[in-house]
Amino acid sequence: MTPTQTQQSATAPARTQPKAAVSTRKWRQNLERGAIYAVLTIFALIFIFPFYWLVISAFKTQGQMFAMPPQWIPQPGTLQNFVDLFHKTNLPRAFVNSVIVSGANVFFSVFLCSLAGYAFAKYPLAPGRDRLYNFVLGTMLIPGAVTLIPSYMILVRLHWIDSYAALIIPGIVGAFGIFWMRQYMIANVPDDLINAARIDGCSEFGIYWRIVVPVARPALAALGIMQLIGSWNNLMWAFIVLRTKAMYTLPLVIYLLNGENTQPYGMLMAGGLLTTLPLVLAFLFFQKQFIAGITSGAVKQ
Amino acid sequence: MTTETPKPSLSLWRHRHFYLFIAPFFLIFAVFGLYPLLFSLYLSFVKWDGLTQIHWAGLSNFQKMAHDDQLWTALSNTVVIGLLYVPPMMILAFVFAQLLNAPWLKFKSLYRAAFFIPCVTPMAVIAFVFQLIFSSEHGVLNYALQHLFPFLHLTPIPWLESEGWSKAAIAILVVWRWTGYNMVLMLAGLQGIPGDYYEAAELDGASKIQQMIHITLPLLKPTLAFCGLLSLLGTLYMFDEIFVMTNGGPGSSSTNFGMYLFQISFDDFRLGYASCVAYSVALIVVLATMLMNRMNRKNVEAGLR
Repeated sequence: MTPTQTQQSATAPARTQPKAAVSTRKWRQNLERGAIYAVLTIFALIFIFPFYWLVISAFKTQGQMFAMPPQWIPQPGTLQNFVDLFHKTNLPRAFVNSVIVSGANVFFSVFLCSLAGYAFAKYPLAPGRDRLYNFVLGTMLIPGAVTLIPSYMILVRLHWIDSYAALIIPGIVGAFGIFWMRQYMIANVPDDLINAARIDGCSEFGIYWRIVVPVARPALAALGIMQLIGSWNNLMWAFIVLRTKAMYTLPLVIYLLNGENTQPYGMLMAGGLLTTLPLVLAFLFFQKQFIAGITSGAVKQ
Repeated sequence: MTTETPKPSLSLWRHRHFYLFIAPFFLIFAVFGLYPLLFSLYLSFVKWDGLTQIHWAGLSNFQKMAHDDQLWTALSNTVVIGLLYVPPMMILAFVFAQLLNAPWLKFKSLYRAAFFIPCVTPMAVIAFVFQLIFSSEHGVLNYALQHLFPFLHLTPIPWLESEGWSKAAIAILVVWRWTGYNMVLMLAGLQGIPGDYYEAAELDGASKIQQMIHITLPLLKPTLAFCGLLSLLGTLYMFDEIFVMTNGGPGSSSTNFGMYLFQISFDDFRLGYASCVAYSVALIVVLATMLMNRMNRKNVEAGLR
């Protein structure tokens, strides 16, 4: 209720509704809200179910996995899948590879995209700026599929096949990141702040580093998490550019467990759980910043 | 004349920081974006397996496309899969966003996490989980359907073994995976709409549904268009989901365009032809997007007037 409404009802008691009507309305509202909670909860459970199934299946034997009726909680649970996984694959190494590749990819991409996004947002007088920016936006429409083969060939020429660089570098420049950063900085980084720093004799890079980066932290976090999701989960590119087992990233290890005719579902689920968990935890941990970053800078064209 | 010639270079120098700041992006982009783009354009006119000599093929690649039944199957599969998943995904995302935007709602972050976690999970993993769930004999989905609706007397649905159902299975997987992402984008859009509009509408006696039709939807249009564009591109170039779950099968029933492109380039090594196909379709997409954008802009302007 807004203040004016309360005042009205206080000064004009004759116009307030009878108690019964108020309580039916209240009752209806409660019913409505209850229904909304019910719908949301049912859908939330449906959406979380495959993830639950992944967790639970990781602790099942092959027999339990295909039991009918389905075993909602494995009894007894087994750790055999994890033991097998560690015997048959080099999971720790793959984990380290994934961390290195994703970490470097996220760091460089957030750094370069925010730097360029800042330039596009806050140097309006630079000749050719709009044309360059439109060009960047245009590249967003060009799908990776078109450039897949030549990119692969460049990596062959550079002798980067089967290296970290092949996984890190081509993925760090994305038009989306620039678009994202520019949007956010136009709306949230005040020009006065920049000008004040400039008058105080701060260098141009110093302005970016000491003023723009701290102010744009939510946008950096959001872009970083999006980049992390993409990079951590990348299967196709890893499949194309990696050769030796020592270089494999987690998704590739999991994918290659897959046999010709038989799928070792137990190991797939155990490995899948270990691959998925870090990201889910990272998301839950940073959820607030992530959502705040998205909602403050997103598609308000 | 004499005063005009040094001007551009002078102003370039004055704005050198701008160019310095965007230079790293453009350097890497030139190598891994622009060069591949031009090179694959060249490749569309040649015949090449990646190892032996390149043969100039002129326009024959383009002619081949017209008779490539597999390409047309892949494109029609792409359309069918898109039609199966985009409408439910957009509607669900919109409804979730709308409900989660209510100020009185508790446990918001819990619900948000439940809807968003699917798009954090790696497809290489999740596709296998869905294989388990979709399994016709032992799958929990068929079990649930049979026991929730016993009166229908359902026979087990061959989700991954039949040509028709495989597309539906992929669509379900994609709805599950990407609804939360669109929901967050729409939440962002919703929060950008000033609350005054709703208050004014409420004073004028507009119902919730009228408010949605006359305020929410028109103002959310840019976001909706953005989500639509992402879905369009996503459907066309979807790969991981299909690669791991059905590998395009059974037959070629779930082979979409992205999957087909991968097959002709990295299974068959028809690199020239693959480039030609990729280029042609990308060109159509770019044109369609520009057209959509233009139409959308008109709509938005008309809506504001």
